Amino acid sequence: MIQTLIGVQNTAAALSAEQTRLDVISENIANANTTHGLDGKPYQRQVVVFESALQQAMTADGGLQMPALQVARIEKDDSPPIKIYDPGNPDADPSGMVSMPNININEEMADMISASRTYEANLAVVKNARTMAMEALSIGKH
Amino acid sequence: MIEALFNQPNYLAAKKTLDAVVLRQEAIANNIANLETPGYKRVDLATSFESELERACASGNSEELKSLNPSLAVDSTATAGSLDGNTVHLQNELMEMSQNAVANSFETQLVSGMLQRMQMAITGKD
Repeated sequence: MIQTLIGVQNTAAALSAEQTRLDVISENIANANTTHGLDGKPYQRQVVVFESALQQAMTADGGLQMPALQVARIEKDDSPPIKIYDPGNPDADPSGMVSMPNININEEMADMISASRTYEANLAVVKNARTMAMEALSIGKH
Repeated sequence: MIEALFNQPNYLAAKKTLDAVVLRQEAIANNIANLETPGYKRVDLATSFESELERACASGNSEELKSLNPSLAVDSTATAGSLDGNTVHLQNELMEMSQNAVANSFETQLVSGMLQRMQMAITGKD
């Protein structure tokens, strides 16, 4: 297939990977106070693990294969739950301590901003590729 | 015979530079896509291209210019900005991308202008 937008396949892969990351972050934030999950335990923070996959046939006889970003897996963060004292909570243990999910909202917000910035950067690449393609199409025009 | 019109060193050099600019955009797109991939090493246009282009332009040999082929290589001068060994710096890449966009505008206008002048010479009108 003729590639009109240069190198955007990998950009598209990165966009969807960042989207997954944002989804996971929003799930973490949504469950910041879930003390009783389906398994009866507090919700565990999830983290996205990125890896690059070699995407073959990357056109352009550059002789170098370009790795595309992809989500390898979504893992659970095994750090211990945060204990708070709340004897009125139905999930409190006999000493009145409740196990809260191991989520730090500040950390999640920082991750979210980083993910959306990366997303924006990739969008800028698409925009730029489009402008370049339009300019190439206008060669020879008055 | 008509090929002679398109074999001028300047025109060929502009074309090759345009090829290089497009390839560079691909490299930058990849670098930004892999902004958060652990261990990713940024790629860029092979540094040999510039010197080869310069030499070919100086010699004014059309064949030499035609045989030029821009290629990509891992940028060995880039330093890791984070602990995971990734050598991509977003701000640098965005700046390179803007520069590349300007270079692309310049090269397309240059090629366009050359073709227009040729057309003017053939038809006698603008």
